[in-house]
Amino acid sequence: MSEKKKKTSSIMKTEARDAWIMMTPAILVLLAIAVYPILRTLWISLHEMVLTDPGSGYPFIGFQNYLNIFKDERAITAIIFTLKFTVTTVVLEFLIGFAAALIMNKPFRGKGIVRAAILIPWAIPTSVSALMWKFIYNDQYGLFIDILMRLGIIEKYQAWLSTSSGSFMALVITDVWKTAPYMALLILAGLQMVPEELYEAAKIDGANVFQRFFYVTLPTVKTTALVALLFRTLDAFRVFDLISVMTGGANGTESVSVYAYNHLMKFLDFGYGSAMAVMIFIIVFIISLIYMRVLGDQITDM
Amino acid sequence: MQKKNGSIITKILFYLFVIVFVGIIVLPFFWQFLTSIKPMAEISAIPAKWIPSSVHGQFYVNVFEKHPFARYLINSFIVATTTTLLSILIGASAAYALARLRFKGKKIMLMAILSISMFPTIATLSPIYLLLKDLRLLNTYAGLVIPYITFALPLSIWLLTNFFAQLPKGFEEAAAIDGCSRARVFFQIMLPLIKPAIFSVGLIVFINAWNEYIYALTFMTNDLMRTVPVGISLFPSNYELPWGDMAAATVVVTVPLIILVLIFQKKIIAGLTTGGVKE
Amino acid sequence: MKKRTWKRAAALAASAVMAFSLAGCGGSNGSGSGSTDATSDGGEKITLNFSFDQGVGEPTQKIVDKFNESQDKIEVNTVILPQDANTVHDDFVNKLAGGDTSVDIMGLDVVYIAEFASAGWLADLGEYLDSSATDAMIEGTVAAATYDGKLVAAPWFTNSSVLFYRTDVLEELKAEVPTTWDGWMELADKAVGINGVEYGADFQAAQSEALVTNWVEYVWGNGGDILDESGAPIINSEENIEATEIMKKLVDEYAPEGVTTYAETESEDVFKQGKCFFIRDWSGFWSSGQGEGSQVTDKIGATTLPIGPNGTDPHSCLGGLDLVVNNNIDDAHKEAAGEFIKFMTSEETQKEMTLISAQPPVVKSVYQDAEILEEIPFYEDFYGIIEGGKSRPASPQYAKLSDAIQRNIHQALTGEVEVKAALDALQAEAEELSK
Repeated sequence: MSEKKKKTSSIMKTEARDAWIMMTPAILVLLAIAVYPILRTLWISLHEMVLTDPGSGYPFIGFQNYLNIFKDERAITAIIFTLKFTVTTVVLEFLIGFAAALIMNKPFRGKGIVRAAILIPWAIPTSVSALMWKFIYNDQYGLFIDILMRLGIIEKYQAWLSTSSGSFMALVITDVWKTAPYMALLILAGLQMVPEELYEAAKIDGANVFQRFFYVTLPTVKTTALVALLFRTLDAFRVFDLISVMTGGANGTESVSVYAYNHLMKFLDFGYGSAMAVMIFIIVFIISLIYMRVLGDQITDM
Repeated sequence: MQKKNGSIITKILFYLFVIVFVGIIVLPFFWQFLTSIKPMAEISAIPAKWIPSSVHGQFYVNVFEKHPFARYLINSFIVATTTTLLSILIGASAAYALARLRFKGKKIMLMAILSISMFPTIATLSPIYLLLKDLRLLNTYAGLVIPYITFALPLSIWLLTNFFAQLPKGFEEAAAIDGCSRARVFFQIMLPLIKPAIFSVGLIVFINAWNEYIYALTFMTNDLMRTVPVGISLFPSNYELPWGDMAAATVVVTVPLIILVLIFQKKIIAGLTTGGVKE
Repeated sequence: MKKRTWKRAAALAASAVMAFSLAGCGGSNGSGSGSTDATSDGGEKITLNFSFDQGVGEPTQKIVDKFNESQDKIEVNTVILPQDANTVHDDFVNKLAGGDTSVDIMGLDVVYIAEFASAGWLADLGEYLDSSATDAMIEGTVAAATYDGKLVAAPWFTNSSVLFYRTDVLEELKAEVPTTWDGWMELADKAVGINGVEYGADFQAAQSEALVTNWVEYVWGNGGDILDESGAPIINSEENIEATEIMKKLVDEYAPEGVTTYAETESEDVFKQGKCFFIRDWSGFWSSGQGEGSQVTDKIGATTLPIGPNGTDPHSCLGGLDLVVNNNIDDAHKEAAGEFIKFMTSEETQKEMTLISAQPPVVKSVYQDAEILEEIPFYEDFYGIIEGGKSRPASPQYAKLSDAIQRNIHQALTGEVEVKAALDALQAEAEELSK
């Protein structure tokens, strides 16, 4: 008896040690490349550092930059817009991605091609696809206008990107088009981990399509879907390229990343810009913590 | 399938849905393809012209003649593949530990790993540039792979941890009693079990690395070391936006990826049937 | 017991292999980098890295090749960046902010000179370009390259906007070229419907720097300005309000629906399709607007920008690129960079660059050159446009001012805010900046 106890505790110890050994490469790599730049940004954010004013000597000002964010109406507007954009796109992407994954997990003729085709939007470099969509929304020769006119839905040329609701819609469509495949692929990977026997068993028990979905499919892909959602949320909240190419932040579409970029790169206000960057980090971190609460036990407990 | 009534209608509806869905997704790309074979004058015709009056291959010739595009493709391929392999290998090992071994501080580890990839790129670009410069890694593949790992690795670890956690419990105990080493358990039993997941994660990491723009632009200043997205962004000049060339380049970049996916898929489906989760 | 120890060792080894394979990979690639970084020169040859954008990529490369062949002391390496003023600016900022010396000479948009100079990133070029060199250049370009009394940049080529119009339509209308906005609008009303023309006016009003260059021209052409002599903002003046109203009228009644989303490319595409009566654009559109795919080849005329009711003279907004030298590099490199810049701004090189790139030169005499005038006859009138051109305010705060102009004017043009209210808001923001 005591012999066995000793054995289990020593197994536990070995396990912990092995775990750290197996994580070491990852920890080393991340420490080596990522930590210094992050610490440096944190440090700069505590200084008044406008590069065009080296005469100031870049004094240490504590959390002044952070306090200024709360007084900055434009920053608050940007945060609200970004949250709105994030929620809208992530929800749509999730629904569409999930539907696509369910389809692709079904056996049918031409499945392979559908699976490959669905990846196309995501495989086109963002720098090209953002430009491509800008052309699609062009008021004169754009594809969007052309299709709508041919279908008789609209009669007059319309400039989608010149109004704030049009811009928002255009950005959401583009983002959903581009990243729903990402969601689909991840959820599909989760679906593939579900043993076929489970469905068979459920079928035999007389469960209908919806019951099978809610009682078999959903619980098994729940964590995968949550991880996919988490990463998409983090990316969507930091949206930058898409907006800077398509609207440049016009018509109330300035995201926090675009705004932080303006301070860092346009105004060369590294202090305030870095504080904005840290702020984005903090918000994203809080979002992750919320996901972690739902997710944590499931993916770490064995 | 089990119902005879309406099964044909269901099938037709299903296919109709699939076709519409895929159609919408592929349409912009198809439009790019049409642009790439149109005569110059028809590209920005008003109203938009769908079917080209004649087919041209000139834009494809331009892509390879005006720019070292083949070199861009090779660079992108090397960087994206290396990034993928390394993050899967390092990531799988860490993910296995996080999902299946007992130790303290797991959630903190997971959060720490995640938080590394949460920092806005624009803020860290300049320090990473200087770091790479000091390490003499600018204009090298390693100089791009290493920063790419900072976003690829956290993603890989999280996803793989999730998939490892889904495997049935009790494998390790059984294996340990059988006298298997941890390394054997990991390489010979656990890794093959999550093969389909590895494929998906690998694909995601690969395309992320393949599409990355700002690091590639900043860290690769030698034209021969540039990657595809940066290469395409170098097409426009002051008075010309060569949309035909860019469309052709998009097709050139996308089609091989799709073919690659199609080939791999066969393997994965095969892998699924032979190595699927069995209790 | 023994067996377990062995197993643990194996696990350790496996992890070590993983770690090693990573290190090994990084290492082998790393050693390869040394050779790419090292210059391939034989002796004391100085290597300079010259970074500029693809906008002038090909012609500049040709000129650089010529320089490299012409002597054996300096080797100039080119680093070509994507054609996008922001990308180039950001790339330089990322490097210079960290005291980097991997780039020696840069082709920088004139609008960023004050900003870079105030950050202390630009070397004083007074030593290399004496007054005989700068006297030969168009005054405005030299003034724009001077900061705090020092010549911190070498004018490379300039740019200025022009009003391009459809000669065929004007002929149909049997009209003279107008000089005022009222005159152009009157003609535009009649022009719609002739030879495929659907829109009277075309210009750039997307929320971007292009909008700033367009807007200041309405202001200047109506006797207004952004800042007064002392540098204080005078934005919500009567003249400026009137000028902005003219621009808004063009947006609402004459321009394509999407003009508030147009930068250069989009506006040019619509004009090239033959749908617009006139377009305000940079001088280079003279040749690119009549190239392959254009419906208006040989139907384009160019003239000065129109003026508003309160204006006396039109003023185009000056653009262009300057050559600047990284202040962090050592004296030997600066000296070599000075040599290269002398070459680039010499009359001979300027003429050659003009011939192969269609970029307006900064050396005055080139505009009178017979060969040039034969190639680009339109330069005869264009010289006057450039001479009458004005620069955007040169201040380290320009980026913020520009951002404020972009947002407020764009809102006025899209109708989100009344013109007067937008200018008042802009005035307030500008006052805040000049504190």
